[in-house]
Amino acid sequence: MRLFRGQRAWLVQRISALLVLALLAAGGLALLLGPPLDHARWHALATGVHGGPLIMLLFAALCAHAWVGMRDIVLDYVQPRALRLSVLTLVALVLFAVLVRVLLTLAAHFAPPG
Amino acid sequence: MKLSIYRFNPETDDRPRMQAYEIEPEAGDKKLLDVLMRLRTVDDSLSFRRSCREGVCGSDAMNINGRNGLACLTALAGLKEPVVLRPLPGFPVIRDLIVDMTQFFAHYHAIKPYLINDGPPPEREHLQTPEQRARLDGLYECILCACCSAFCPSYWWNPDKFIGPSGLLQAYRFIADSRDTATAERLDYLDDVYRLYRCRTIMNCTEVCPKGLSPSHAIERIRLALLQRSS
Repeated sequence: MRLFRGQRAWLVQRISALLVLALLAAGGLALLLGPPLDHARWHALATGVHGGPLIMLLFAALCAHAWVGMRDIVLDYVQPRALRLSVLTLVALVLFAVLVRVLLTLAAHFAPPG
Repeated sequence: MKLSIYRFNPETDDRPRMQAYEIEPEAGDKKLLDVLMRLRTVDDSLSFRRSCREGVCGSDAMNINGRNGLACLTALAGLKEPVVLRPLPGFPVIRDLIVDMTQFFAHYHAIKPYLINDGPPPEREHLQTPEQRARLDGLYECILCACCSAFCPSYWWNPDKFIGPSGLLQAYRFIADSRDTATAERLDYLDDVYRLYRCRTIMNCTEVCPKGLSPSHAIERIRLALLQRSS
């Protein structure tokens, strides 16, 4: 299992960065070109059949990117093994919690088509 | 000319100190090494490495006014005074401007800096096309002075695990060599979170190389080679 080792982590960081960039650009354009932004529109976007999964994808890419970045920082600066493992675990838990929170929020407001 | 030089003798000093010197360069003194050699006639306890005095051996690498370089290639003209000389940053100091290069050369040896060819030996020599030979330009010229590795923050953080820009440039020199047949083995060794991927593309290495080489470009080529291999 070499996930998040060497090249794999490097690739995950770059692909996730491209995904975040593309999704933010597409989202920004959609918001700019559409009708005025209000709560109803935000809600429609987030609970739409495309909007929800895309927001989930955005946060998943963001968390993957943050994980590799934070892991790099920890590998550089936190040398004691026990402390390193603790910090990495904490980072993983926080990122996982973010993902779960986003998923639960989206699921709670998801409006199935029809 | 005023100089401020890092002094440390482990046999007599508890801690390092900066010592001020003032010396008048003579007409023939053009490079910093000339002044250092002249300084040695005044204070023979001052220790530094030097050999070829023309940028080929790489032994007189040091930190000159905050920037790594070779004393023999650093022109006196334009040097801001006092000229502050320190040993290569991040390396253990043996004495004054002399640093311990053991770790640095351990990384160099680990990348197997020699041609490996499992094919039958040629009758005379392994031939290369001009294009194949041209791929080694900008790689084989490295003199292992360690200016790049000692100016790389990633190397300061993980000197025992990160190969460093110099070692990686040398590694790519053999990966790029058409006569070498151990590319897969070399890439396997480098595909590691520490050995290669501690590089953050800070590019201090390329900025500071006294030979004008680009270790960061070589590192990028290794990453691309790994990518091509896995795709």
